[in-house]
Amino acid sequence: MNARLRLTAALPRLAALLLGAACVIWTALPPRHTGLADLALVVSITGVAAGALRLALADVPQPADEFFLSAATKVWLTFLAALRGLPWEEIAVAAILWLEVQHAARPWPTAALGVGLVGYLLAVHIAETGAPAGQLLRRQAKVLVAGACLIAVGAAFAMLSATGPGASSALLRVLAAAAVIAAAALVLPRRD
Amino acid sequence: MPGSAELDVRWRPSRHARRLLTLALGGLLIATLARRPEFAGLAAPALLLLGPARKPRPVRVRVRTAVATSQLYEGEVGTVDLIVDDAELDARWVLQPGRGVEPASATAAGGAAARFEFTVPRWGKRQLGSVTLVLHDRWRLVEGRVTLALPDVDCYPYPAVQRTRVVLSRLPNRLGEHAARVAGEGTEFTGVREYVPGDRQRAINWPATTRRGRLQVNTFAAERSQDIVLVVDATSDVGPPGSSALDLGLRGAAGAAQAYLDGRDRVGVICYQWGGARWLAPSLGRRQVYKIIDTMLAADAGWARGDVFSRLPRAALPPGSLVVVFSPLLDQRFVETLRDMRERGFALFVVDVLNAEPPVKRTLADAMTRRIWRMEQQAIRFSLRELGVPVVHWDGELPLDLPLAPYTRRPLVAHR
Repeated sequence: MNARLRLTAALPRLAALLLGAACVIWTALPPRHTGLADLALVVSITGVAAGALRLALADVPQPADEFFLSAATKVWLTFLAALRGLPWEEIAVAAILWLEVQHAARPWPTAALGVGLVGYLLAVHIAETGAPAGQLLRRQAKVLVAGACLIAVGAAFAMLSATGPGASSALLRVLAAAAVIAAAALVLPRRD
Repeated sequence: MPGSAELDVRWRPSRHARRLLTLALGGLLIATLARRPEFAGLAAPALLLLGPARKPRPVRVRVRTAVATSQLYEGEVGTVDLIVDDAELDARWVLQPGRGVEPASATAAGGAAARFEFTVPRWGKRQLGSVTLVLHDRWRLVEGRVTLALPDVDCYPYPAVQRTRVVLSRLPNRLGEHAARVAGEGTEFTGVREYVPGDRQRAINWPATTRRGRLQVNTFAAERSQDIVLVVDATSDVGPPGSSALDLGLRGAAGAAQAYLDGRDRVGVICYQWGGARWLAPSLGRRQVYKIIDTMLAADAGWARGDVFSRLPRAALPPGSLVVVFSPLLDQRFVETLRDMRERGFALFVVDVLNAEPPVKRTLADAMTRRIWRMEQQAIRFSLRELGVPVVHWDGELPLDLPLAPYTRRPLVAHR
């Protein structure tokens, strides 16, 4: 593999790491210490770091013959198996969401986090499959634009003042936002 | 060796889809539980991206397989071509080589068609392994898996290099390529004698006729062929895999079979193993090489009880044939069999393929055991030589011509 190919493979992996780190930092600030926020922060950092390491070590082959291996090789293979077996990105996303929910309502930063998380997951997907990024994003441009609009709609719903002081009004707003998103999810892909 | 199969596809969400689903469900769950609509918006792009996963997918796909050859020699590179008929899906092939098969190219390839190269380092019947075909939709949201078992291949022992041949002094009266001691219609000049009525005019040697004043004719050696019986001792397989006694025996026998068949000799084989022997009667032709190797490979299949060595039919061991034995000479019963054959008048030639010794240990008893073992081996070889059986050692690295050289320069005289 020459230098150009190595660089082509490394760029999406670096992008995934940077986007994951950005999402963690974005949601970790200002620092919160309630509702297992510290644990969620540690888990999200671990998830992003392990996911990036998994992508970085994706080209390391697994030996077919696993007999009579040295202790160091066995440890290395166990580490690789753990790295490749666990869903690190899902763990990171769940932890980041949990960290974000610890903050008081902040619709637009949450919307920005949503954009960042989608970007992170797409970067991981591109790094994992080696698919050409430009082509993939062009193919899904309409869906991504629609998704961004719906994020904005969700944030806007959150900013609407409640009609009444009860909890039911907040639930109504959530249901309305969810209904809009569900309708869009059902309709938009068929136009593609 | 082409083949085609229609296989069921097991579909499941891809890792990308599972990650998007986590984001979507997490966002919606938090939105509902925490009453925060912005999280519902956060889930929206993931839900939209998951939308195309609902499109219909094929339940079965047709996969065509073509293995370049079902028979190959040790170390030879073979190829397997794979084609999936459904061109709409992104396909990725992953080769899982079978035991004893080594990939000679990348083990993963993308595209509707793929070619994998492989080698088999050691002879035997090998299962090539399997190929997993991973199918993706356009958006890589669902992943279909198909596992396909590849066919078996026969790996032949790589024939040893042998160009020269051991030729018996007394050859059967059958047309061939070896110059016999008797005069005949061959091409090898043997001398000049006086003309007698009935001699061909073209055989007249005019310079000799001029010198002697009487008609002189050239004489030529008759050209004959011989029967060769290769005996492979499969009772003991010692030494490291790949260069064990049996490996060397089979390679040597394959090389000898080629060399003698190239010289228009009739070649047969006997595989000696516990409880019996497998044999193939001597015959001519290129196909006989493959028949001989197949017979030898069949001997590897197990310790089947076949024909007892002493009861072999005349066809397997024709009288007057040269018996070339490849053996580590470790089994006493086999050595006794060789002695018996020699006493029955067969011309024997032993190629010793033993290249291993008992392991070296520090204890005195081990050193003594090793010394006694060596002496026993020397005694076995000495006793065979005393019976008039040439024993040469072959290490498997050099051409067989080198150890055979003292016996290929002149015809082998086998005294009865």
